[in-house]
Amino acid sequence: MNGTVKKRKAGVDGVKNFEYYKPKSLEEARELLLKYGEEASILNGGTDLIVRIHDGLSHPKAVIDIKGIEGLSEITYDEVDGLTIGACVTLNQMGENPVLLEKFRVLAEAGHTVGSCQVRNRATMAGNIANASPLADTATPLLALDAMVKVFGEEGETEVSIHDFFVWVRKTCLQVGDIVTGIRIPNYGSIEGIYQKHTRRNEVDLATVCATVIKIDGEVHIALGSVAPTPIRARKTEAFLKGKVLTEEVIEEAIEMVLGEIAPIGDIRASKDYREEIVKVLIRRGLRELIAAM
Amino acid sequence: MKRDVCFILNGEPVKASIEPHVTLLHMLREVFDLTGAKEGCGGGECGACTVLVNNKPMNACLILAVEADGLDILTVEGLSNGLELDELQQTFIDHAALQCGYCTPGMIMSAKALLMKNPTPTEDQVVKAISGNLCRCTGYKKIVEAVMDISNRNLGS
Repeated sequence: MNGTVKKRKAGVDGVKNFEYYKPKSLEEARELLLKYGEEASILNGGTDLIVRIHDGLSHPKAVIDIKGIEGLSEITYDEVDGLTIGACVTLNQMGENPVLLEKFRVLAEAGHTVGSCQVRNRATMAGNIANASPLADTATPLLALDAMVKVFGEEGETEVSIHDFFVWVRKTCLQVGDIVTGIRIPNYGSIEGIYQKHTRRNEVDLATVCATVIKIDGEVHIALGSVAPTPIRARKTEAFLKGKVLTEEVIEEAIEMVLGEIAPIGDIRASKDYREEIVKVLIRRGLRELIAAM
Repeated sequence: MKRDVCFILNGEPVKASIEPHVTLLHMLREVFDLTGAKEGCGGGECGACTVLVNNKPMNACLILAVEADGLDILTVEGLSNGLELDELQQTFIDHAALQCGYCTPGMIMSAKALLMKNPTPTEDQVVKAISGNLCRCTGYKKIVEAVMDISNRNLGS
C-alpha cells in the first residue's frame, strides 16, 4: 500500500525490466541477494514492492520471490518459545488463527487494519515490518510485545529484538543478503489492552497515528506509530506508570509524559498538532480500557 | 527474460510466456483478452482489478504474472456458463446494482468470495467484504442489496 497521492504511470510495463527468481531454499535466496546486492528486492506479498516499482520509487534488477521456500508459511505455538509466525503467512491467515485470536488478539487486530481484504490475502507481517514505515500497523503490537525477528543471514538463523530492528524511516538493521524468516512473540501469562488506529477513512487507509496500549503480566506497555521516524515505545511513561493504580489523574499525567517522548511531523495525512492531539486521545482510551479490563 | 507460467484460468489449464515485470492484471487483459478486471488505481486501493486466487479475493494489479504459476485464478468471465449468467451477476442486473460499471467486476468477485465462504452473510459482513472496492458512482446501496438478496435466498432455501 502506498497512500501518497501522485500521478501513476499506466502500469509497471513502462518501467525497466527485471529478472525474477523463485529460490527453493534460504541459502539459494541469500546467494541471489548477495549477487545483486542493493539492486535486489525481496518479493513476498508484493503489496508494497509492486506499488513502489509501479510508482517508479524502486528499480530492482532482480526480484527474489521467497514464497517458494519451505517452512516460511506456518504459525506455530508452544509454551516455551511462544508464537512464531512465518515470514510468508498472510495477514488474513493470522486473523483466522485460533491461538493468535485467543492469546495475542491485539496483534490479530492490528493486522486486520492493514489495507483491504484483497491486500490482507497477500500482505504479510514480515513485509509490513521489513518496509520499516513509521506507521506500520503491526509494528506497535510487536514493540509492545517485545517480539523477536528471525533473520537468516551470515551466521545462519539468528534472532534480533524488534527494538533493534527499526533504524530509521524505511531503514532496518538488516544487511544485504539478510532474509526475515519469521517473527516470534514470547509467551506471556496475560495480555490485556487494545490496538487503535486513527485514520481519515475506515477502510484501506494508512494510520494518521496508531497505538498499542497493553498490560502484560501486570506491566503497562505503550507503543506508538506515525509519531517519530520509527515506531516507538514510550519507555519513560511506562516507568512512570509502574506500580501505580490507573486513576484519571494518573492517566492525564501519563498523557503529558507521552507527548514528551514523541516527535511527530506534519504531512499529507495530518499536521503535527493534530497528531499530538490524537496521541492524547488514543493513550487516554487505551489506559481507560486497561482499567475496564481489570 | 520471458518466463513460462502454467496456471488454471477460469477452470481451464493455460500457459503463457511472460516478462517478469508484467502484472497478472495486464496478462489477463492483454494476453488472455479478459478485460473484466480493470486497472483503476494500480496500487491496491480501488479493487477494480479484484480476481479470486485459490478462491481468495486479491488485487491482480499487485501480483506479478509470473507469480500466477501453479495458482487457480477466477475472473468475472469465469462465472457465467456461456451466455447464462451466474446468479450473482443476474442479481446485480435485477437490482440495477451498477451505474458506469467500472467497479462491477471487482465488486462481483469480492462478493463472490464472501458467498463462497459464507452463503448467508449479514449486511455488515457484505459491507466489510466489499470495503476494498471503490464505486465512484457511489452506488453502494444497491450493490449491498443485491448481495443481500442472494444471502436471503440462501437463508430461505
